Amino acid sequence: MNILVCIKQVPGSSEVKVDPDTGLLIRDGDNVKMNPYDLFALETALRLKKEKGGEITVLSMGPQAAKAVIEEAFAMGADHGALLSDRRFGGADVLATSYALSQGIKALGDFDLILCGKQTTDGDTAQVGPEISEYLEIPAVANVTKIREVTDETMTVEMDMPNQLEVVEVAFPCLLTVEKDIYQPRLPSYVLKKATADRKIPIYSLDDMDDQDENNYGLSGSPTQVKKIFPPETNTTQTMLEGTAEEQAKKLTTTLADLKLI
Amino acid sequence: MARLKVHQDKIDDPEALVAVCPFGSMSVKDGNVVIDDSCRMCLNCVNTGPKGAVEFIVEKKKKPLKKERWQGVAVYVAQVDGEIHPVTYELIGKAKELAGKLHQPVYALLIGSQVQAAAKELQHYGIDKIFVYDDPKLARFAIEPYTAVFERFIKQNKPNSILVGATTVGRQLAPRVAARMRTGLTADTTILDMDAKSTDLSQIRPAFGGNIIAHIVTPNNRPQMATVRYKVMDAAPRQEEISGEIVEKKINEKKLVSNEKIIDIIPKPAEQSIESADVLVAAGRGVKSKAELDQLKELANLLGGQLAGTRPLVENGWIDVRQQIGLSGRTVRPKLIICVGISGAIQFIAGMDNADNIVAINNDPKATIFKSAHYCLVGDQSDIIPQLIADIKARKGE
Amino acid sequence: MAYKTFTKEDYTAILDLINDNDRVLYQDAIQEEYGHDELGGTESLPDVVVLAASTADVSKVMTYAYENNIPVTARGAGTGLVGACVPIEHGILIDISKMDQILELDEDNLTLTVQPGVLLMTIGDYTAEHDLFFPPDPGEKSATIAGNIATNAGGMRAVKYGVTRDFVRELEVVLPTGKVVTFGGKVVKNSSGLDLKDLIIGSEGILGIITKAVLKLLPAPKKVISLLVPFPTLRQAIDTVPEIVRSENVPIAIEFMEQDVILDAEEYLGKKFPDHSADAYLLLRFDGNTDEEVEKAYQPVADLCLKQGAVDVFISDTQEREDSIWKARSAFLEAIKGSTTDMDELDTVVPRSKVNEMVAYFPEVSKEQGIRIKSFGHAGDGNLHAYMLKDDLSEAEFQKRMTKTMELVYEKAHNLGGLVSGEHGIGYAKKRYLKETMDPVNLELMRGIKKTFDPKNILNPNKVFDV
Repeated sequence: MNILVCIKQVPGSSEVKVDPDTGLLIRDGDNVKMNPYDLFALETALRLKKEKGGEITVLSMGPQAAKAVIEEAFAMGADHGALLSDRRFGGADVLATSYALSQGIKALGDFDLILCGKQTTDGDTAQVGPEISEYLEIPAVANVTKIREVTDETMTVEMDMPNQLEVVEVAFPCLLTVEKDIYQPRLPSYVLKKATADRKIPIYSLDDMDDQDENNYGLSGSPTQVKKIFPPETNTTQTMLEGTAEEQAKKLTTTLADLKLI
Repeated sequence: MARLKVHQDKIDDPEALVAVCPFGSMSVKDGNVVIDDSCRMCLNCVNTGPKGAVEFIVEKKKKPLKKERWQGVAVYVAQVDGEIHPVTYELIGKAKELAGKLHQPVYALLIGSQVQAAAKELQHYGIDKIFVYDDPKLARFAIEPYTAVFERFIKQNKPNSILVGATTVGRQLAPRVAARMRTGLTADTTILDMDAKSTDLSQIRPAFGGNIIAHIVTPNNRPQMATVRYKVMDAAPRQEEISGEIVEKKINEKKLVSNEKIIDIIPKPAEQSIESADVLVAAGRGVKSKAELDQLKELANLLGGQLAGTRPLVENGWIDVRQQIGLSGRTVRPKLIICVGISGAIQFIAGMDNADNIVAINNDPKATIFKSAHYCLVGDQSDIIPQLIADIKARKGE
Repeated sequence: MAYKTFTKEDYTAILDLINDNDRVLYQDAIQEEYGHDELGGTESLPDVVVLAASTADVSKVMTYAYENNIPVTARGAGTGLVGACVPIEHGILIDISKMDQILELDEDNLTLTVQPGVLLMTIGDYTAEHDLFFPPDPGEKSATIAGNIATNAGGMRAVKYGVTRDFVRELEVVLPTGKVVTFGGKVVKNSSGLDLKDLIIGSEGILGIITKAVLKLLPAPKKVISLLVPFPTLRQAIDTVPEIVRSENVPIAIEFMEQDVILDAEEYLGKKFPDHSADAYLLLRFDGNTDEEVEKAYQPVADLCLKQGAVDVFISDTQEREDSIWKARSAFLEAIKGSTTDMDELDTVVPRSKVNEMVAYFPEVSKEQGIRIKSFGHAGDGNLHAYMLKDDLSEAEFQKRMTKTMELVYEKAHNLGGLVSGEHGIGYAKKRYLKETMDPVNLELMRGIKKTFDPKNILNPNKVFDV
């Protein structure tokens, strides 16, 4: 089975703050890591490979430094990797990111299965996986909590639905986004890290894409624009709910209802 | 293509300009300021750097968008087997408000099989047009046919904005539709507003795990799409009288082909772990009897949550170690935690102080727990809890 | 020695001294937790609890107790495991946990001055904000600093940095007479007479009550990564430890763990450990200022482990990965507790070269005595934690088998050149084992010191050794 896993480099901690005066993101620039949700996708790929054979390719998009997450994937057992890196991809929103990734996937070859993590810890949208599947015109199943069976033509998975789990059989090629905790991700192996230290990571730029229209990438290809970022209001107020037990209970019930917790 | 051009002659202090970039994408090379490919186009250098030092250049060759052709605010009706998910009513409430500012209609898009009753129910919520795509092939959600129907709806009706509930279905359907329409989609918005003049939807959402809030617009594309989580917006009230038109639509069978097959529908395993619960009722040493503990369990059930507790309750065998909150137990971050008879030892506080809403009930006004609580009830829990259970039941109409 | 029976008049007198109703607990107001510590094997309630707010409070109460011959016990967060803070003779319990202020950070001398009730986690958070750190790292982060000093707590960074004793510069102590004295100073070197500060460290509250401490800090390392090293057998794992210790770049921690304890922790936390395929693991932790520096430090050690037969070497370099390993490691005690009905613990320490012999002895004695034993611990410093589990045994049978097992294990440790306790202390629970394994001359010297400090034997009587 030929599997592609999308991975992203994200800030080492999501404990970023916005400077209330300048509106700038304050974050530790050099502390980065692989998006924790992508580890579940990669682990899923590694288990499938162990069971069914085949090869795993990881694809990332970002600055040259994002090679680190591809090397990390090698140390976990991925076979190949590629990085989409081009200033013209910069400032991409979900749509432009998904488009560039789908173009990158097409440039890399044919895959039976594309795996994505549920979301990233920086963007938090959970939208890139489904959008890639649209551009690749393949079926997609999101919120996969379990893989039941894999045959040559199909795989059967459990999908988390609002009130139930649906057991879905999907034909290859397809895209799955997997839930957190589908499998406990393994740690990178020192042995593999050493063995893959010299493995080449090809860099793909816009010139390697099938669609070379700059307007479909980066900021130009992004319908959404961030007008402003600001820190969240924190709930620091304290309210005393006083009175008799009955009055207190009434006040609390009203409060909970106002908070939509009832 | 949009790009940034650095005008070196307008820079007095290169290092100062470099420091402005929140992503560390600028550096000084051979005395010139350069931008590398980690640039996120946040435009901070343009806006806060020395005037004119960095220029934002947009070379447009797209046709200008005729925004006035896109009218109305649509709501995707989340339903399973004809049962409407309550997030739908919240979206309708918001859609009416947004459409009201534009003096445009509110639409509902209902996709499913044998959903006539659901369509009729929607007529109680003041929607102008309810578009119904009813076909046995649409009985259960499948990404390809649902996207095809959605696409057809958009092309025929050209709504200005579309709101989709961030249910497990909405979170995969909305992005697929947005990609097909090549338009913007903002996930998990918490505040939505409409600018009557530009007809742009103002979308506010948290990012970075809630540590940052972003204000997002989709100025040059239509429809504008946003997903909204359940229990964020206020639901539209149900009216006795019926209004709005049900528009039955047909779609070509060929469009309803799916490469996915639903083999089985199984119940979800009950959520066991307190870490993933939205609501927790936590019991402490002040809970003196099994009967009181049972009441708290009932309260937790009423609120759709789980029972948790502190270490002494684990030690006397009343709760399982897996329900223990604290440094030596589990760390939780629920939307609501009600702490009953808990003094507030640091071991416990450290395990829960990131909860969105902390309620403390304790008869000792000096209990440390009150320092961390948002809502404080000083009093005897054995008086307050039964009353609270009765009130919540009454409100839920049980 | 007979103590004065505590009366209502004593209560009134102490209340007068403290002059705050909320801080003097009497009779029904005394919560039952004041009668035991974390492990709870030793139980005895005080007659009165004083929540001290200042050194003066402690001194006043101590003076009163001295004049009236009433026993006094000091208590911090009550996270001890050997009953050291349990008032065996009842009397007055001085709870110092409300004296929880950080008094001064001296960035020139790299010292932190704290009140005794400051929690270890508070110190951790506070120093982290200033890019500094206090290296001693016991698992129990909600313990007070005074409790840590009183037991000379070790923790998981001892291999590289040492123990609490190595990071205390100065102590303010209230003596059993009520007198307030200062031992040590904000100095790096000290050759000025007998080191009384070092006598207080590890004295488990029998010589004086710590009311202020000046701690030594270090600049905080910016990067920390762990290596989880699976081995086919525990023996191979432990045999590798001396090799690692001899290597140039010493890890901050060397822990060993076996598969069954990992499985217990998975069950307890409801979370999977990153790997549980091997029988035994070494867990190594390295720190430094950059990724490159840490990588350079661990590489030779990783190669060494592979040479010694390790299956692989797994790298934990992110918060999530560290959490998945160390949260489980921190939960071992609770997890083992959760797997049985009751238990007691052993905290022996042996020379590093003897760790293997000691570890091999646990299954042996477990089989022989018919009692389940689980162990894990600080392989790098020879401090082994073993837990004897009650399971389905009757209380009497459990006590019988456990006592016998303890005797055998302590004897074994003694024969290997080890000691009764590495970091938990002797307290009340381990008194007889200290007596059985310690040279009588040493014990006599200890008694003499106790007598000099506390002629009336009113401060934490019946602890560590009998006078």
